[in-house]
Amino acid sequence: MRAIYVIPALVIVAAAALSSIFTVDEREKVLVLQFGEIKQSIDKPGLYFKVPFIQDILRYDDRILGLTTTPQEFPLADNRRLVVDAFARWRIVDLEKFRRAVGSGGIEAASANLGAIVNPEVRDVLGEATVEMVLSSARVGLMNKIRDNAREKAATLGIDVIDVRLTRTDLPQQNLTATFARMKAEREREATDEIARGNEAAQTLRAEAERTAVEITSAANKDAEIVRGQADAKRIAIYADAYGQDPEFFAFTRSLTAYQTALKGDTTSMVVSPDSDFFRYFLAETAAAPKP
Amino acid sequence: MAGSGGPWGGGDDEPGDNNKGQDGRRGNGDRRGQPMPDVDQLMKKGQEQLRVLMGGKGNGDSNGRGPGGGAPVNPINRQNLFFTAIGLALIWAYLSFYQLKPEERSVELLFGRFSSIGEEGLNFAPWPFVTAEIVNTTRQNTTAIGTGAGGAQDNGLMLTSDQNIVDIEFEVVWIINDPTKYLFNLKDPEGTIRAVAESAVRDIAARSQLMPILNTDRGAIGRLLEEEVQATLQSYDSGISVVRVNLLKSDAPEEVKDSFRAVQAAQQERDRLQKEADAYANKIKAQARGNASQTAEQAKAYSTQVVNVAEGDASRFLSILREYVKAPEVTRKRMYLEAMEQVMGGMKKIVMSGGAEATGAVPYLPLNELIPAPKGATN
Repeated sequence: MRAIYVIPALVIVAAAALSSIFTVDEREKVLVLQFGEIKQSIDKPGLYFKVPFIQDILRYDDRILGLTTTPQEFPLADNRRLVVDAFARWRIVDLEKFRRAVGSGGIEAASANLGAIVNPEVRDVLGEATVEMVLSSARVGLMNKIRDNAREKAATLGIDVIDVRLTRTDLPQQNLTATFARMKAEREREATDEIARGNEAAQTLRAEAERTAVEITSAANKDAEIVRGQADAKRIAIYADAYGQDPEFFAFTRSLTAYQTALKGDTTSMVVSPDSDFFRYFLAETAAAPKP
Repeated sequence: MAGSGGPWGGGDDEPGDNNKGQDGRRGNGDRRGQPMPDVDQLMKKGQEQLRVLMGGKGNGDSNGRGPGGGAPVNPINRQNLFFTAIGLALIWAYLSFYQLKPEERSVELLFGRFSSIGEEGLNFAPWPFVTAEIVNTTRQNTTAIGTGAGGAQDNGLMLTSDQNIVDIEFEVVWIINDPTKYLFNLKDPEGTIRAVAESAVRDIAARSQLMPILNTDRGAIGRLLEEEVQATLQSYDSGISVVRVNLLKSDAPEEVKDSFRAVQAAQQERDRLQKEADAYANKIKAQARGNASQTAEQAKAYSTQVVNVAEGDASRFLSILREYVKAPEVTRKRMYLEAMEQVMGGMKKIVMSGGAEATGAVPYLPLNELIPAPKGATN
């Protein structure tokens, strides 16, 4: 029964062979440790060998990793307070340095370390800025400054900080109510202003229209009076022209016309003497013709 | 096994070591089986087969007809061997071939190193040397910002440069345009997009004042956002392309919305007041113009009338005068008598002789009876 010995031997050989081979993925970096001592740091993917049972491998993520800081509230240079949080994107560049700096805590410990770098940087950089600067196009410059500072410090961890960005730069909760109240007041001011301007415009329009109306009417009246006056003048001229040719005859004919219109109808009673010229022949004794 | 799951094992002994089992790539790359075979199982299987080959008693799982039943058998059963080989080949083929749908691409890794991109159709990744990660490259993924999808803090409220608060909600629609970069460069693509977009929108809000944000058309803010998010993702070499940004909302916060509505109402009211005044103005101006025309026309009418009357009168007078001059005495008399005839004919008259014979008597004149109307006429 040689097989009884052969099989375990084969198994041991196979296991040894297999445990000496390992792959490194595109997404990984690998440290080879021998009794805890760093023997090799691999950052190229592929197939690798190690001494079985003696050497040990540690895999690390080679991709860009994220870090979101907890919101922190602090006063800015103008003593106004903001609640700020940021996120960082980073990756391991120097695995050996990383391992030595971070220890066996791995990515989690590194995140904590990086957070402890980024948070104070955010405070320091923004602490020298005013709220107006944070809320302006200077924000990008501040972010870049935080990133550069953090990158410099994180280099000691074997980490490259690719980006640090501010996300929230908000007012503290207790300031929100005041801000909303201010916004409301501003809107109310605007609304009141709108109505007042509306009334102003309306009143102006009405007054202008009334003025225009008066102007139009009075101008028309003026023109009318001018026309009437000219007509009257013309009438006077016409009459004067005509009647002036024989004023006496005009007085005569006009008087007759006036008698006819004034003493019209049977409403008039008249006591006349037969001596008047009308009755010249009325009671005359002689109807003879006057002497020549 | 040196404390590890195996040379290719998925197990790890480092707490911070993030293995591929939890890389947060939900739904984008479903894994083609286990990337690395489980060594224990492999060895178990191998032992089993060895034992069968050696003529031992198998568990009967290598093929259907294990050599049981006491009868002495040929240790190397050709049939058994054949079926085992076929079975293994089938299993291997099953593990090695995979299909890709039209919207999918795969990234093949030979011993962990990138080898090629798999196109749609049947693909071959010889197990266990090549592993394939499948990624959907045409599906549009949506990441919503400000809608509360990102937690309680994700309320869309942000400060503008005039220190007002604005409520912005939007969606980033993105696709994977480079599966290799997408898989290899970012650990948490979705989280990265969220963080980048949130940072970008706050950056844009912080650079603008409240009213322009509320008033500018949504397209402009959307485009700005799209550019900024795309640029940042590009800088991470993420293999992600932003298709578009849907701006769902850019509005005043709920708390002050009523005030904004009141402003709108006030604007309408202003408009109304102006329109009404305008209407009034038009009305009275038209009225005045009408009156003016009327006055002018009346004046013209008067003018024409007066002149016509005067000319008529004058003409008549001149005509009469012309004839009168020819025989003044007679004409004068005639006219007088005709006129008096008409005047006297129509009235009540009392003829009193006032001659020398009647001087003694005082004539009695009952004027009250004679005058019918209050307006009297006496000589």
